[in-house]
Amino acid sequence: MRIGRLSLVLLLGVPVAYLIAFFLVPFGSVIVSSLTTKDGASTLANFGRVVTDTYYWETLIFSFKLALWTTLVVLAIGYPLAYTMTFNVKSRAWRRIIFIIVVTPLFTSSIVRAFGWLVLLGRLGFVNETLIWLNLVEKPVQLLYNEFGIVIGLTYIMVPFMVLTVASVLQNLEAALLDAARDLGATPLVAFLKVTLPLSLPGVVAGSLIVFTLSVSAYVTPSILSGGKRTVMSMLIYQQYNTVFDFHFGGALAVVLLISTLILIAVYLTIIERYGRTA
Amino acid sequence: MSQDLIEIRGLVKRYGAVTALAGVMLNIRRGEFLSLLGPSGCGKTTLLRSIAGFIDPTEGEILIDGKPVIGVPPNERPVNTVFQNYALFPHMTVADNIAFGPRRKKVPESEIKTLVAEALEMVGMAGYIERRPKELSGGQQQRVALARAIVNRPQVLLLDEPLGALDLKLRKRMQVELKRLHEKLGLTFVYVTHDQEEALVMSDRIAVMSEGNIVQLGSGEEIYHAPNSRYVADFIGEANLIDCVVGTDGRVRITDDGPALPYEGGRAAGERTTLMVRPEDMILGGGGVSIEGTLRDKVFAGMSWRLYVALANGQEITVQPGSIAAAERLKVGESLRVGWPAERARVLAR
Repeated sequence: MRIGRLSLVLLLGVPVAYLIAFFLVPFGSVIVSSLTTKDGASTLANFGRVVTDTYYWETLIFSFKLALWTTLVVLAIGYPLAYTMTFNVKSRAWRRIIFIIVVTPLFTSSIVRAFGWLVLLGRLGFVNETLIWLNLVEKPVQLLYNEFGIVIGLTYIMVPFMVLTVASVLQNLEAALLDAARDLGATPLVAFLKVTLPLSLPGVVAGSLIVFTLSVSAYVTPSILSGGKRTVMSMLIYQQYNTVFDFHFGGALAVVLLISTLILIAVYLTIIERYGRTA
Repeated sequence: MSQDLIEIRGLVKRYGAVTALAGVMLNIRRGEFLSLLGPSGCGKTTLLRSIAGFIDPTEGEILIDGKPVIGVPPNERPVNTVFQNYALFPHMTVADNIAFGPRRKKVPESEIKTLVAEALEMVGMAGYIERRPKELSGGQQQRVALARAIVNRPQVLLLDEPLGALDLKLRKRMQVELKRLHEKLGLTFVYVTHDQEEALVMSDRIAVMSEGNIVQLGSGEEIYHAPNSRYVADFIGEANLIDCVVGTDGRVRITDDGPALPYEGGRAAGERTTLMVRPEDMILGGGGVSIEGTLRDKVFAGMSWRLYVALANGQEITVQPGSIAAAERLKVGESLRVGWPAERARVLAR
């Protein structure tokens, strides 16, 4: 297809201009402020403060731990759901209904959803009441204001991203490949492990990257469900910008979070690639 | 030991109101090359997939080597399949694809190496062991798919239109290679195709299918020269299906008052029936049985001329005589006699 020069400029120019105005410029200004003092002199002191204070290290590690747990739980829930949707639900209508149910959470505000979890997981919330009524516990269990509560809240938000990416890969899996595996003597489990799983790996990788990066930078859910008792990096950054008004140190925290996330992703992709080559 | 490796008894498969198989009876002999031939939707692939174990028939029985296999999952059946679009595992090398079957049977790795090499050697792909399927052409992928199936030495090799995606030249070469492979391995091949020429070239026997049933089963020659119905005659090769009338003497004729031809109509006087003659069996000028006609058109078809001849009943038939010289002299519009050796024509009741 031949595209005229004008439409080419429009097609490319609009998104490029958008990216420059709303991503590169603010991003640049964050980097610049992280490398300067209030007087505008260049400095590495902001980064020095992040690196030398163990509090920031602990918060960073806690944020990654949360994101990692969330990713694993989302994978454990999302993959089977995507698999069932693709292979076990035969009727198109049912598949569409399940699809809508999966996507619905994305339509509601994350603040509303987080408060919903407060109601469900509180000391006198639905979950604890049920557990007591079933005689499974004697007194309410601490479900909120800790890692557990935050992971639950994040998982609920992130599952659609995993289901959608994994399902789209599974849908493109040629059914004859599974027939071929069974034909060559594989049990259903072996056919899954040797054919379906490795071929759906790209979906798992994409899904877990989306979930991990969204979780590590999530602000609303952790801040509501932690009840102020636990702190993640995004909350620290928010404090610096909105409460302390130290744009320079806040910028440094943001840059550290970004770089360490990129490093983790690079490590993850390297491992996956190596696994992919041996499989 | 019974001569029949596979016995199929009264196999029925229904999908809701649609009947894919309507009570198929078929015995497949040990070591034969059997083709299931028919147009799309005739049930041939459903039958093949029922033998492989991918489809649970609604009714009926399948016995492989005397053992009933309905309910036995595909991985436990002594059959292997070559799929229509190869279905090679894209994330594995050629070697791993072929080793997939033996590995499931826990064959030691050292032995697998030899097996893989042998199988690739047999399909002429020895140098491609470390390639990925996407680095191979369609024909090469087909050979690997074949190697992946035969490495398991199944009792039955099922082939589901394996050459359908290849171009004509390659298809013809693969037909010959498949035939040789069948002779070398001595396995039973069940081959699904809609291509009658392919079936004729390769098969020991052909089962012609229509609407979920086998309408004729026999060797290529039998089915070609002695089709049992208009459907089979029309589907296999080219056939002139001449509408005839049965006269009071029981003989068929082309028009009510036309001369009787030496064939028994097999039904009451005045009823209609069909006489089949192959275009290449026809001779110009008569000899044996002959009829009158008018030359409507003639075209040069390389090895011979094709003549389109209008008969007394208005029907047009195709005549492809062996003699080029005689056909060349004919002019369009000319009256002529065309004949055939008496035993080459058949009355088709159905």
